[in-house]
Amino acid sequence: MKNSKFWFFTFVGPVLVTFIIVVIIPTLMGIYFSFTNWDGINHNPDWIGLSNYFAIFERGGDFLDSFVFTAKFAATTVVTINLIGFGLALLVTGKIKYSNAVRSVFFMPNLIGGLILGFVWQFIFTNVFSHVGGVLGLDFLQGWLATTATGFWGLVIVMTWQLSGYMMIIYIAALQNIPKSLIEAAEIDGATSWQKLTGITIPLVAPALTIGLFLTLSNSFKLFDQNLSLTGGGPFNSTEMLALNIFRTAFVFSQFGRAQAKAVVFLIVVAIITLTQIYFSKRKEVEM
Amino acid sequence: MFKTSKWRFLSIVLVVILSVALFAGCAKEEEPVATETEKEKDAEPTPDPGPVEIEIFQFKVEMAQDLDAAAREFEKAFPNVTVVIQTVGGGDDYGAALRAKFASGEEPTIFNIGGPQDVEDWKHKVADLSGEPWVELAHPGILSGVTVGNEIFGLPFNIEGYGFVYNKSIFADAGIDASKIVDFESLEAAVIELDAKIQAGDLKDKYPNLEAVFDLPAKENWVTGLHTSNAVLAQEFASSIEAFEAAEVQFTYGDALKALIDLQANFSPHADNKYRLNAVDYATQVDMGLAIERVAIIQQGNWVFGGVKGIDENVANNLGFLPFPVKGAIEDSIPVGVPMHWAVNKDSGDAEIEAAKEFLNWLYTSDVGKNFIVNEFFFIPPLKGFDDFPPADPLAKSIIEFAEAGRTMPWVFMGYPSGWGMDILGNQIQKYLAGKITWDEVISVSIDEWAILRK
Amino acid sequence: MGRKNNKRTILSVVAIILSAIFLSPLFIVLTNSFKTRKGIFLDVLSLPFGEFFNPINYVIAFERLNFLNAFKNSMLITVISVVVIIIFTSSAAWMLVRTKSKMSTFIFFMFAGAMLIPFQSVMLPLVRWMGILGFLNPRGLIFMYLGFGSSLSIILYHGFIKNIPKELEEAATIDGCNKFQVFWYIVFPLLKPITMTVAILNSMWIWNDFLLPQLVINRAEWHTIPLRMFFFFGQFAKEWDLGLAGLTISMIPIIVFYIFAQRYIVKGLMEGSIK
Repeated sequence: MKNSKFWFFTFVGPVLVTFIIVVIIPTLMGIYFSFTNWDGINHNPDWIGLSNYFAIFERGGDFLDSFVFTAKFAATTVVTINLIGFGLALLVTGKIKYSNAVRSVFFMPNLIGGLILGFVWQFIFTNVFSHVGGVLGLDFLQGWLATTATGFWGLVIVMTWQLSGYMMIIYIAALQNIPKSLIEAAEIDGATSWQKLTGITIPLVAPALTIGLFLTLSNSFKLFDQNLSLTGGGPFNSTEMLALNIFRTAFVFSQFGRAQAKAVVFLIVVAIITLTQIYFSKRKEVEM
Repeated sequence: MFKTSKWRFLSIVLVVILSVALFAGCAKEEEPVATETEKEKDAEPTPDPGPVEIEIFQFKVEMAQDLDAAAREFEKAFPNVTVVIQTVGGGDDYGAALRAKFASGEEPTIFNIGGPQDVEDWKHKVADLSGEPWVELAHPGILSGVTVGNEIFGLPFNIEGYGFVYNKSIFADAGIDASKIVDFESLEAAVIELDAKIQAGDLKDKYPNLEAVFDLPAKENWVTGLHTSNAVLAQEFASSIEAFEAAEVQFTYGDALKALIDLQANFSPHADNKYRLNAVDYATQVDMGLAIERVAIIQQGNWVFGGVKGIDENVANNLGFLPFPVKGAIEDSIPVGVPMHWAVNKDSGDAEIEAAKEFLNWLYTSDVGKNFIVNEFFFIPPLKGFDDFPPADPLAKSIIEFAEAGRTMPWVFMGYPSGWGMDILGNQIQKYLAGKITWDEVISVSIDEWAILRK
Repeated sequence: MGRKNNKRTILSVVAIILSAIFLSPLFIVLTNSFKTRKGIFLDVLSLPFGEFFNPINYVIAFERLNFLNAFKNSMLITVISVVVIIIFTSSAAWMLVRTKSKMSTFIFFMFAGAMLIPFQSVMLPLVRWMGILGFLNPRGLIFMYLGFGSSLSIILYHGFIKNIPKELEEAATIDGCNKFQVFWYIVFPLLKPITMTVAILNSMWIWNDFLLPQLVINRAEWHTIPLRMFFFFGQFAKEWDLGLAGLTISMIPIIVFYIFAQRYIVKGLMEGSIK
């Protein structure tokens, strides 16, 4: 027993200690600062109890707005990314030409950093879109990112473009795990493609869905880089997502204590949402 | 089994608690750590300081290379000093990076501060520079933003001015005499005339890209919320310090602000869909606007010169400023001010502080330094004594002409409450352009928020 | 048979069209990186021919990035971090899977739960704390990457190891191997596919990371590529011509790595994501 304890800590210890130092302690420090009037400079701020938490909900219409916007965004991208990712996975596993090259192409957007990507897409939305819109006479391509709606869809497009290749890889893996014999048996029974998809493929891919949903949900909720460089929260902060809202509370308004309080609330809510999601997906998996 | 796992859990909790305790302990130990390094420095006698290293933490990527070259020159003159320059790229993250830098304990010797709010935020860190030789050389009033009582906490980077930057050759070809523009009325008349010619296609041959008089980058909150509003609020506050100390804002000339915004919006390419201005950014306005002669006038400052030059040198050399008229108040001037200051960290060692002061002094008063300031950084010098170093670009020249004619007004936006100009007023102006609120609401919301943020 | 061939052709065409859509932003980056700034701003869709063709962008960007030095730094930091992450998280995940206890489950969920922490909210306390510990610059950065990279890596390894039969390990233990030997000689080789996945996912992130290096690296000679990239994106002017050329140069290494490693990725996730 003692021996196994020794080995357990020898193997788990290094990464656990690092993790505690790098992630857990700063998080706890952040929680501590959320009860203070920290300005980000002075290292010995005053304890002010729950004031920051009250302030968020009292005068923080902006925080609530960000929250609603972020939730809508996450709900939308979870659907688009997973749907498109799954679709791409079906496509590239469906015996097409150049399958490997096509896979690489779909995955490629992941290889660029978010901030610069946002700059590039901003360029595309504001210039290429209006250019193309002008040539084709499509008015809806004009004035992108100037309204809340186009800002929202701009973010959805960028995020979907970037992450669906990643999800595709996960779904490819799941698809390849389906025993060929099952499909063949269904074919012998005369099942249509649609029946094969809904009767065999989707139920068997469901476990991958759990991790797919988890990754998209947590990435969408935490989105920062693309938000900053694509819309910067504009127009009139209506596309400002939670991470950016927290960041700006800290660095624009110099209210670090309040920003930390927002981060704590944010963390709790995201944790509840994702844990609920995992719980239900897992239960679904079992039922299926 | 169960028992042991409980123990393991406890031990983890213990590790966490211990680590937190460690952190809490360290927070208070900060003072002694600092004095320890000071002691080390004290050990070295001041008359003959051994090797000293100073670190400059700055954000102007445009001058990163040239500043580095200047530092090498300085090291030749002061061989015992090494100057390390750290530049933060990416634009507006400097505040975050600077705080992180200080938080990490690796504090720079020289860093940048803006106006009164930064002085207030950093008052525990900035050294008094009032004994420096360059103080005597400062133009009157130029140090007001960083002066508290008898102490001066920053050396101005440079002087910048902004207003309506216009393309002289378009004006000439349209037959408009820019010198006749001295107030809002004459500006509006010129704009209407120019617009008529553009719409009629009279200038199409020579300027195939020209599509409107103005472009207004409402996406850039600092342009509308800080700069445009500054002209109007400079009628209300005499300096950034006065704005900084004001518990309330009156917006006496709120209508003049509306006039400036409306004029630019109504004669922009998006006059019929003003909400689209909310997606117009700096690049669209300057690089894809003024520089390729798509528009004739923009509200910007002398800092656009380098960027325009990188696109079209002919256009860049034909730029000048029109007055930035505040209807009903000062109508023939442009706002001129100091965008940034150099500050010295007073928690650095004595030898470092001395070397840092020496460097700043050298940069702004020695001939080698002055040459860098004017001809490499393209700065308009904030100090006297640069007579042998005339400004290099037409926009800088134009600003100096305005200044010599006494046609300037101060920059007061540095004294706005943190976040007010961009996140409150700038956003309200976006809403106004999107047709979501009326102008009266822009003003009333901004007045209310000022008071709330000042509490 | 003909129907099947038809279907295959249609699907291939669909795939190629979709690929074109996916690639179009990168295509715009590539074409514009060969143009003068005026060429970019006059018409972003034009191809880099004629008066606006300006390949010198690459030479200037290469110099201004101080590319060889930045490349060396990025490479060193990425490779060491990824190796460290792989060694420590794979062994930890193995132990977490093989130890059935509440504590083991608790630790696993702690790692998984940390995926939800937004970096921006811990950033200042983190930097302050790292400063106190003296963990800054490349060494500290690698340490922090291990901390932040551990969550996803452990989740992936955990999922994969669950499906590996225990028998081999048990046989080896009976043969007198200690745990290190069992892990290193028996288990780790079996993890190759998932290790490739962990390697590429972490490399992508670390290679492109901007914020963390910006906060903790304070010497120009240690600058990574993304840090130098941002020298093209200033407070006002963005030097798109050089920025796009720099972006293209900096993408090449990671794309090469991806192409080299991609055949392992799917295999790794195949067993990894499916618990």
